[in-house]
Amino acid sequence: MEYSRRGRLLLTTVVTILYLFLLAPIVIVVIAAFNSGEYLRFPPEGFSLRWFRKFLDSEPFVDSFIFSIELAVIVTILATIIGTAAAFYVVRSSSRYRSALKLLMISPLPVPAILTGIALLIFFYAVGIGTNSLFNLIIGHTLISLPYVFLTVSTVLVGFNRSLEEAARNLGAGPWTTFFQITLPIIKGGIISGAVFAFITSFDQFPISLLLAGVGTTPLPLQLFDYLRFSFDPTAAAVSTLSIVMTVVVVLITERLVGLESLYRGSNA
Amino acid sequence: MAPTPGPTTTTERRAQTPSGQQSFVLYLPALLLLTIFFVLPYLYLLYMSFMTHTSGAPYIRDFTFENYAETVRDPFNWEIIWQTLRFGILTTLITLLLSYPLAYHMARASSAIKGLLMIMVLAPLLVGIVIRSYGWMILLADNGLINQAAAGLGIGPFQLMYNETGVMIGLVHIYMPFMVLSLLGSLQTIDPDIERAARSLGAGAWSAFWRVTWPLSLPGVTSGTVLVFVLTVSSYVIPSLLGGYKVLTLPLLVVQTVSELFDWPLGSAMALVFFAITVAIIAAYLKLMDRAMRGVI
Repeated sequence: MEYSRRGRLLLTTVVTILYLFLLAPIVIVVIAAFNSGEYLRFPPEGFSLRWFRKFLDSEPFVDSFIFSIELAVIVTILATIIGTAAAFYVVRSSSRYRSALKLLMISPLPVPAILTGIALLIFFYAVGIGTNSLFNLIIGHTLISLPYVFLTVSTVLVGFNRSLEEAARNLGAGPWTTFFQITLPIIKGGIISGAVFAFITSFDQFPISLLLAGVGTTPLPLQLFDYLRFSFDPTAAAVSTLSIVMTVVVVLITERLVGLESLYRGSNA
Repeated sequence: MAPTPGPTTTTERRAQTPSGQQSFVLYLPALLLLTIFFVLPYLYLLYMSFMTHTSGAPYIRDFTFENYAETVRDPFNWEIIWQTLRFGILTTLITLLLSYPLAYHMARASSAIKGLLMIMVLAPLLVGIVIRSYGWMILLADNGLINQAAAGLGIGPFQLMYNETGVMIGLVHIYMPFMVLSLLGSLQTIDPDIERAARSLGAGAWSAFWRVTWPLSLPGVTSGTVLVFVLTVSSYVIPSLLGGYKVLTLPLLVVQTVSELFDWPLGSAMALVFFAITVAIIAAYLKLMDRAMRGVI
C-alpha cells in the first residue's frame, strides 16, 4: 500500500493496543488464578495452586461446574439432532413455507435472551412446571443453541453435491449406507462445528439461567455471578480458568476432528 | 422427545420422493420445540402484560391497560429507558471507532498472520461473559492493577468501576468481536486496487479513505452497529457486575420487577414497551442507512 511509513506504524501501534485490550481481562484472570496473593499485584507475589485447592473445597462451585457440563452435554445432543434434522428439511424441501420455517429456526437469535428468559419463566409457572428447573433449563438452553446448529449444518448442506448420494444409491447402497458412508462424512464438519457452538453457548449461557435456575440446579456462570457480587477473591479466578480450559479443550478436540477452519466458517455462516 | 439419529435418517430416506423431497417429520421436533417453548411463551408474555397484579398472587385474570399506562406514566421508567439507550448508542459508537482499525488491518493482512489475528478476535467470544467481567473487575477495582500502576506514577486513584465508566469499558470489550467480524465481512470484499486507484488519481490518504473505503464498508458498519446496539441495550451481566447495582438499566429493572417484586404484568409490559422502542429505533436507523448507501454506491 502507498501509505506512508508513519501511517503504517501508527496503524500497527493502534492495532496492537486494541488486541491487548481484547485479551487483557482474560489473561489477567488466568494470572490471578495462579498468583498466591489475595490481590493481584505486579510483579505477582509467587506461583501457587491454593485457589484451585479452595475451589475443590467449595461444594457450590464444584457442584455447579459438574452441573454445567452435564447440562451442556444434554443440550448439545438435543440441539444437534433437532437442528441437523431441521436443516435437512429446510435446505432440501421445496415447500413454499421454506423461508418462514427458516426464519422460525433462527428467531431465538435476534431477540434478547433475557426477554426469552422472562417469557419462559412466566410461561413455565403458568403451565405448572415452573419448579422443574432442570427441565426448564434444558429447554431454555436448547432454544438458544438450536440456531447455531441449524445455521452451520445448513451452510454445508447448501454446498452439498447430491449426485454423490444418487450415485451411491444407483450402485446399490441402501439409504442407511448412503447416509453413513457418503452424506455424513461430507457434512461432518458442519455438524461438529454446530455441536461445539451449542456446547459453548450452553456452558457460557447467563440470561436464561438467571431466570430459570433453581436450588441445586445453578449453572457455573450464575454461581460465579452470585459469588462476584460480594467478593472477588481469586477462587473465582481458579474457577474461571478451569472453565476457560474446558472451552479450549473442546475447541482443540474439534480442531483435531475437523480443523479449525470449519469452526470459523461456521461462525460466519 | 427428540428422535435419535437412526430413525430420523430412515424416515428421511424412506419418505424421499424421486425429486428429492424431504419428509416434514424431520422438521417436526424443531417445530414443536419452537412453537411450544418460544412462540407460545412470547404470546403469553403479551397476554400477561394485560393482566392485573395483586399483592397475593403474581397476577389475576382481569384485563387492563393499567400496566402500559403505568410504564409510560412513570418518569423514573423514562429515565432508565433513556439511560439504557444512551449506553447503547455510546457503546455502539465507541465500539465502531475501535473495531474499524482492527478490521481494516486484518482485511489487509497477509493470510499467514490473518489466522492468528482471527483467533485473537474470536478467543474472547469463547470465554463466558461473567469471566470477562471478572477480568475487568481485577483491572479496574480501587486497588486493581490499573490504579496500582497509576499510584506508581503518583496519580489517582481513579474510580473506574461501580459507575458508568466501568460499564462502558465492559460493554465495549464484550461486543467488539461482533463489530470486528461484521466490518471484516465488508472490508474484505473491497479490492485494495480501488483505493490505490483513488490515490494514484491524486486523492490524499484521508480523502481516499472517506470517499472510497468508508462508503463501500457501510453494509458492514450497518450490520455491526445494529448487532452491537441490540446486544448492549439488552445486556444484564455487565451493568450489574461492573455497575455494582449503582447503574440501573432497563433489563435490570425488568428482572427486578419480575423476580423480586413478582409483578409479572408490569414487568411484561415494561419489557414489551422497551422492545418496541428498540425495534422502532433500529427500523428508523436501517432506513437512514439504506438512504445513505443508495447515495454513495
